[in-house]
Amino acid sequence: MTGATAALTAIPPYLVVAVASLLVLALPRAPGHALGAVATAFVFAQAVLLGDGGTGAHLATTFLGFDVVFFNVDPFSLLMGVVVGFLATAAVLYAYGSDAPRWVTSLALIYVATTVGTIYAGDWLTLVFFWELMAVTSTLLVWQHGGAAVRAGYRYALFHATGGTILLAAVVVHFANAGTVLFSATAGIHPAATVLAAIGIGINCGFIFLHSWLPDTYPRPHVAASVFLSVFTTKTAAYVMYRAFPEGGMWLAYLGGFMAVYGAFFALLQYDPRRLLSYHIQAQLGYMLAGFGLATAVGEFAVVGGFAHLFNNVLYKSLLFMAVGVVVYRTGVEDIREMGGLWRVMPVTFLVYVVGAASITAVPGFNGFISKGMVLDSAHEIHDYTLLLDAGLLWWLLVLGGVGTFMSFIKLGYYVFFHGSATLSPDDATAFQTAGMALAAGACVFFGVFYAQLIELMPFTDLILSEEVYFKPYSRSHLTESAALLVAGFVGFFALKRPLGWLAHHMRDVDAILFPAAFYAGRWSVWGVTEAWAAVDRATMRVVGGAKWVAMNPRQLLANAGVDAEIRAGIGRSVLLLTLTAAVALFALLLG
Amino acid sequence: MTDVLLPLSIAVPIVAATLPIALGLRYDDVGWPVAAVATLGLVGSAVAVAVEVYTGGPFDHELGGFAPPIGIELVADELSAAVFLLVSLVSAATLVLSRAIGPRGNAFHSAYLLLAGGLAGVSLTGDLFNLFVFLEIVGLTTYALIAADRSGASAYASLKYLVVGTVGASLYLVGVGYVFLATGTLNMADVSVQIVERASYTDPLVQAGFAFIAVGFALKIALFPVHTWQPDAYQRAPDAVTTLVAALVSTASAYALIRVSYSVFTVDFLAANDAIVTGILLVAGVSILAGSALAVMQSDLKRMFAYSSVAQFGMIVAAVGIADETALLGGIVHLVGHGLLKFGLFCGLALLAAGYGARRVEDLASLARDAPFASGALAVLGLALVGIPPSIGFLGKWYIALGAVRSAGATGGVVGVGIAAVILASTLFTLAYVARVIERLYFAGVDREDAEHGGAAGHAGYADGSDRDAGTAVADGGSGDATVPGTVPTAPLVVLVVAALVAVGLGFAGAGFETLLDPYLSEVFA
Repeated sequence: MTGATAALTAIPPYLVVAVASLLVLALPRAPGHALGAVATAFVFAQAVLLGDGGTGAHLATTFLGFDVVFFNVDPFSLLMGVVVGFLATAAVLYAYGSDAPRWVTSLALIYVATTVGTIYAGDWLTLVFFWELMAVTSTLLVWQHGGAAVRAGYRYALFHATGGTILLAAVVVHFANAGTVLFSATAGIHPAATVLAAIGIGINCGFIFLHSWLPDTYPRPHVAASVFLSVFTTKTAAYVMYRAFPEGGMWLAYLGGFMAVYGAFFALLQYDPRRLLSYHIQAQLGYMLAGFGLATAVGEFAVVGGFAHLFNNVLYKSLLFMAVGVVVYRTGVEDIREMGGLWRVMPVTFLVYVVGAASITAVPGFNGFISKGMVLDSAHEIHDYTLLLDAGLLWWLLVLGGVGTFMSFIKLGYYVFFHGSATLSPDDATAFQTAGMALAAGACVFFGVFYAQLIELMPFTDLILSEEVYFKPYSRSHLTESAALLVAGFVGFFALKRPLGWLAHHMRDVDAILFPAAFYAGRWSVWGVTEAWAAVDRATMRVVGGAKWVAMNPRQLLANAGVDAEIRAGIGRSVLLLTLTAAVALFALLLG
Repeated sequence: MTDVLLPLSIAVPIVAATLPIALGLRYDDVGWPVAAVATLGLVGSAVAVAVEVYTGGPFDHELGGFAPPIGIELVADELSAAVFLLVSLVSAATLVLSRAIGPRGNAFHSAYLLLAGGLAGVSLTGDLFNLFVFLEIVGLTTYALIAADRSGASAYASLKYLVVGTVGASLYLVGVGYVFLATGTLNMADVSVQIVERASYTDPLVQAGFAFIAVGFALKIALFPVHTWQPDAYQRAPDAVTTLVAALVSTASAYALIRVSYSVFTVDFLAANDAIVTGILLVAGVSILAGSALAVMQSDLKRMFAYSSVAQFGMIVAAVGIADETALLGGIVHLVGHGLLKFGLFCGLALLAAGYGARRVEDLASLARDAPFASGALAVLGLALVGIPPSIGFLGKWYIALGAVRSAGATGGVVGVGIAAVILASTLFTLAYVARVIERLYFAGVDREDAEHGGAAGHAGYADGSDRDAGTAVADGGSGDATVPGTVPTAPLVVLVVAALVAVGLGFAGAGFETLLDPYLSEVFA
């Protein structure tokens, strides 16, 4: 380890970002944002530089009697650090270009700081600490916008507080069984904590039925805040999921498959552009979890596929949020049916959108094609419940999700940029918005073409690039597959446009039941607790009052009971008592 | 000097007790000077005894040159020196109080000196029958002093104590008679030897003797259920008499119980008679609970703290019954500490009663504004009684509870834990009634200034402080003997504040108590 590397390992990157977050508030807007961009770029640069032999458990210490590691550098945390640092830099530029208030950028940066802290945690305790902080900071980021974001932010906070508590319980169970919280000491979380960990992390991953907060929250805050939110919480959750279950499991893989279908399907029904993208977060997470889930069944190839998809997803999902954000920012409209024909007036935004859409739908030449292909290849090796084409259920789920993704992005692009004549004529993206988007879009294309570079950033690089593993993204079969998906998507969208429109009005997600149910359950439990406590209070006061009355009026009590007697002992009774006591004492002694 | 120190300690006050009456034939106001001089002498000899005992070890004196076991012996050891010191200091302090608030007659001062001499005798005697004599001197003078108020209620209270107390003393005498029959001696040290040689610990005669003695002491100490004389006596007696009696008389009897139980019958006797120990602990536990509960129920201040004594002495007797070195240390510390605390509390109440006519809890409303020092001292002493550290009250209870738990740990019995639990419960009760007093003193929402001057005066401010005092005096005046109504006499107030400070300061003296009393404890637990 060289001196420079050693120096880098002594600086926890999240502290740098946290300091920048404060300075953004203190400084004028332009230098503040510049500083924020530099701080996040430092996270990126540090991760890239540490890639050359900087791995290890740095800043290891003892906290409250627990062995903890505050800066754990390994291939997995490094790839997260690279992409989070890179994207955060682009997002800060974008925020500057989107007139984001300084408070938004500051909260976003502290949110990034907690994310980075989670990523570089080397033990479960530190991880949970930053995990909870992420929930707090992201909630503040949502709340900052005010209006409808406040209630949504409150629901968001409830979800994540619940998830955080469950994860904490999982960590406690893990510690009780394993006797340590260090990652290095065990492979994943202890089996006893499996369910708790899966649910706790699963809430952040957007497991089906636990995902309602996702489309509920992300469309509401400032467009720049959405860009930050859309990538960090969920992708960090996927990363932590791998930390907890490095061995994977078919339950995780199938859950991922169903998430891909579920998310894509509900995305198809949306007309709010950011809400549509939020459902795709769930769908995309499905691909990552499918990859991680196949860690044992297929091997490192699937894990790398999952991580590559995670890495790419951060880039293109934020790119899409940026592009859509520009449209919302310029038009103030949040319903795609009221947009249309914008490609003429917003050519840059349109171009960026196409890059993002091509990436997420896995069009050859874009990064999503590489990673989704790896996940699909892995899934193809699973032959449980074999359906058509000699492929199993999992593969079909993921392919179906892919078709749905195509359809929904055709829909989104069609409504926003074509769809009749232009009724709005907004300006195109601002310079800094363009800069932020160009960074992300450039990365999408770069990794799509030079995919070996993507693999270089991944763990198990040598294995993937060796001859033993079949890794040829641009093979004939992959290209055919992609073309088939594209055709299916176009045909599907235009054929099903009307039924889908009908469904969009009649099909509600689980939140239609979940939110009112939670609301009324909360209200009733508050009422129940309040009333129960009031009843206890009344009973206690009655008992105390009664005891006090008896104590103050002992004779009255006796009189009420029909005994009218002096209870204070006079001389005669005193002597009697004394004699009796002496007698009892004698008898007890002599006979006892 | 040390040779005559002990007899002089007792003889001087008793002889001096004749002087106020005799000189009173010619002079009117000789009582106080005589009492003051004699008491100062008593304090001096107590200090000398304490210094001698704690530096040179225990010593004794054969009265009239007759050698024990035939002759009567006076003994000063670590335990009796502590009690003697308490007796002399509290007597002197009470004299300061009675000077200010009465009673002041020559007869009072004679009785007072007789009481002081009797108490000194109780703490110093080494003879069972001699102990009875001194207990009777103490008892008789107490009966007289309680009646010194010349009211019907105090006469009745005195008569009640007289009848009951005499029966109790007789029971003690009967017990001593049994022991004499069994052992043929009355000298305490000799009895402890002869019990083994001429009888045995399980001899019915010895057992019955102890039972009579214990019941007699239980009455004198005022344990539940033979406490019935005590609340009346404390409530009806003149305030200065209550202060003296509450601080010392029951204390002397409790000291006698410790002395007889450990120096005469010895710890082996207790170990050989489970029934006795069980009975003692039972009575003590019931006393602690009943006394505390009854104290909470009272509205009369003196009666409240009278019942409180029933509970506190329950703890001291419990310490005797536990028969554990730590617990007995706690019992002795609490014996001395309780005497000091009760002296301070009744002294404070007496001053507030004299200055403001406050006799019931509700009368205390907002008195902290008019009498900040007396109220503050009262609050500190009350909290010390609760057992809030640092205070002597905490120290005593702590050692007793610690010893109780430790003995439970040693024997695996539930009794010790039960006693500790009872002490805890009693602490809560104590907090309840002390809190009532403090709440009234400091937080009762009576704004007398507004009530007197109307709403407008409230805006005028507090500039006319002297005027305010005068107004209060007019409103509250009329009670208190010769003191100026609406004020607190200075000399007793100083004594009171010193008592409060000592009560807190002694809270830091736990190690000191352990060192000083260690020779006595290791001797009786040898």
